[in-house]
Amino acid sequence: MERRELDYVVLNQGYVSVNGRELEHEASGNALLTELYRNHIADWPKFFKMDTLSKAGFVASELLIKELGEHRLGSEEFAQGRAIVLFGATASLCADRNYQETIQDKDNYYPSPALFVYTLPNIVTGEIAIRNHWRGETSFYVTEAPDAAQMAFHLACAFQDQVTDSILAGWVDSSRNDDFQAFMTVVLREDAADTGWIEGQLKRMINILNNK
Amino acid sequence: MARVIRCIADNVVSPLGQDSRSNYDSVKAGKTGLARYESMGNISTPFVLSRVDRGIIDALCVKLGIKGNYTFFEKFLLCSSVQAVRESGIDASSERVLFIVSTTKGNTSLLGQPQEGVPDERVLLAKAAREVSLFFGNPNAPLVVCNACISGVCAQIEAMRALRSGLYDYAVVIGADEQSPFIISGFLSFKAISDEPCRPFDKDRRGLNLGECAATVVLEASDEIKGGWELVCGAIRNDANHISGPSRTGEGSYLALMEVLKECRRDELAFVNVHGTATAYNDEMESIALYRAGLIDVPVTGLKGYYGHTMGAAGIMESILSMYAVRDNTVLATRGYHEQGVTYPVSVSSEIRECKGSEFIKLLSGFGGSNAALLYRFVE
Amino acid sequence: MEEMILKLKQEIIEVLNLEDIKPEEIDNDAPLFGEGLGLDSIDALELIVLMEKNYGIKLQDPAKGKEIFKSINVMADYIQKNRTR
Repeated sequence: MERRELDYVVLNQGYVSVNGRELEHEASGNALLTELYRNHIADWPKFFKMDTLSKAGFVASELLIKELGEHRLGSEEFAQGRAIVLFGATASLCADRNYQETIQDKDNYYPSPALFVYTLPNIVTGEIAIRNHWRGETSFYVTEAPDAAQMAFHLACAFQDQVTDSILAGWVDSSRNDDFQAFMTVVLREDAADTGWIEGQLKRMINILNNK
Repeated sequence: MARVIRCIADNVVSPLGQDSRSNYDSVKAGKTGLARYESMGNISTPFVLSRVDRGIIDALCVKLGIKGNYTFFEKFLLCSSVQAVRESGIDASSERVLFIVSTTKGNTSLLGQPQEGVPDERVLLAKAAREVSLFFGNPNAPLVVCNACISGVCAQIEAMRALRSGLYDYAVVIGADEQSPFIISGFLSFKAISDEPCRPFDKDRRGLNLGECAATVVLEASDEIKGGWELVCGAIRNDANHISGPSRTGEGSYLALMEVLKECRRDELAFVNVHGTATAYNDEMESIALYRAGLIDVPVTGLKGYYGHTMGAAGIMESILSMYAVRDNTVLATRGYHEQGVTYPVSVSSEIRECKGSEFIKLLSGFGGSNAALLYRFVE
Repeated sequence: MEEMILKLKQEIIEVLNLEDIKPEEIDNDAPLFGEGLGLDSIDALELIVLMEKNYGIKLQDPAKGKEIFKSINVMADYIQKNRTR
């Protein structure tokens, strides 16, 4: 059977591509995220409040949704049936470090609520859900490294929730403000039965991420 | 038929006890782990916290044979999981066993205070979880569920799914968090922490208390009904509203509740164990969700007045105590509650109540707009 | 006062990451919350930190912020009267 390939976005501090097409850019590091936001998104000022993990996940999701041509305000059924399942190894480590700086020094102790809220990695799933009005499952799993088999297994598991029709899935990592890696794709319920195939698709994305 | 998922062993380590039974008895007797602290580290604002005595955990490690260069967080996970795994009698070194850890901040305190002999990489959640699975000689990569305050319910849901898939026969689901100045200062900056014992659903509630607990359930998958506590179903839903403020319509909690109610036998529903953090917004939101889900008359109970908000452990510990309560035909008292303080008056009480039924729902909500519910059923 | 208001606006833009907003675009009498700047509850908490860090004003009750953060003018006035640094 001829099968379509999964659409995907790969993004790191110096590289960004959509379905293998590299997007032109000038900046790198955190500034790359801002450049991508200004050139391709531009209508969500909350972006500037996000931590690096959320920015990377948000930009990757926006580029993918654009590529898929999905309407932001889909049907009620679509909004409840779209899950977001993301994986990462560093979780909120970057935000943790930034927040720790605000409490480390007794004489300069001003804990920042705006930084603290991002010390939870699932916030990125919430940011994407809010932007798109999706009210399905949101989950963030922390693993040691991107492992296609492990990810494919847990994505297949997520479809055991019968309401879930599709999953925005991917890997998002950031350990420093100028250091991030992400890939993102959308997996449909009909794909889920064949975990081997999903694994192969994810492996391809992981390879691109690892080689860039 | 989908595989039947049963809870075959459980453990709770907290200031109220070192096993589930003693925790349940303490709560039933009205004891609390909450105490007032005037300061901690760089924090000079008073707060109320339920904190585990480090000496007790070290002594428990000696008793259980847990040796090695572990952080407090790792010891905490091990103290609970070693006891639960022993009780279950399973061979945790088998590849048919999956380890799932539920935590929000893991070893984050290492950022502020490195520990000699502990590599920096242990601040990574999966590295800390690996220390636990390695202790048991388990060959699988552990999974860490990091979904803010709902992690403990999500971890059980993911364990249920992994077991139903057929790839594993047992899942060891462990939840814990260390209440370091990192977390406490953050919640203080959110003006969410009360300097008195919390008052869930009360009209004078002034915020939450944080708490420390480690809790474990060992889940088993089987092809036939064997009796005991079955994890029937669970659901995770997002408000899609705000990253820290609960939805004003209780959307995510409502959707999660409606999903588990599909499997629930309403006349068997003994109670709903709610999140009940005692912040103004959370309790109000839960009352709206319960009302919308048609659960306004079902007894509701919250345990934060005994334990505080134990974050990664909350969903697991509160499920375990609910199991004990259902078997005891008891709705535990909601400590700290006195007078109804939410728009939709839920059936909450400061007294212990009697109940009938073999099922309960555990409900949680958290930052990121996340909400989760699960349904447990006791089968004779 | 003019100078202080401009400084306050710059501080707010910085701590709240209002990247696309310039000081002159913030009306001195317009409400800070609700429509306009699109601020939320976390922003309100962050303004409380700003008051303490930059002006030495400790605000224990976040509900009080509602009155103080009514507009730039109200906020600047409150800071002028209560600042300790």
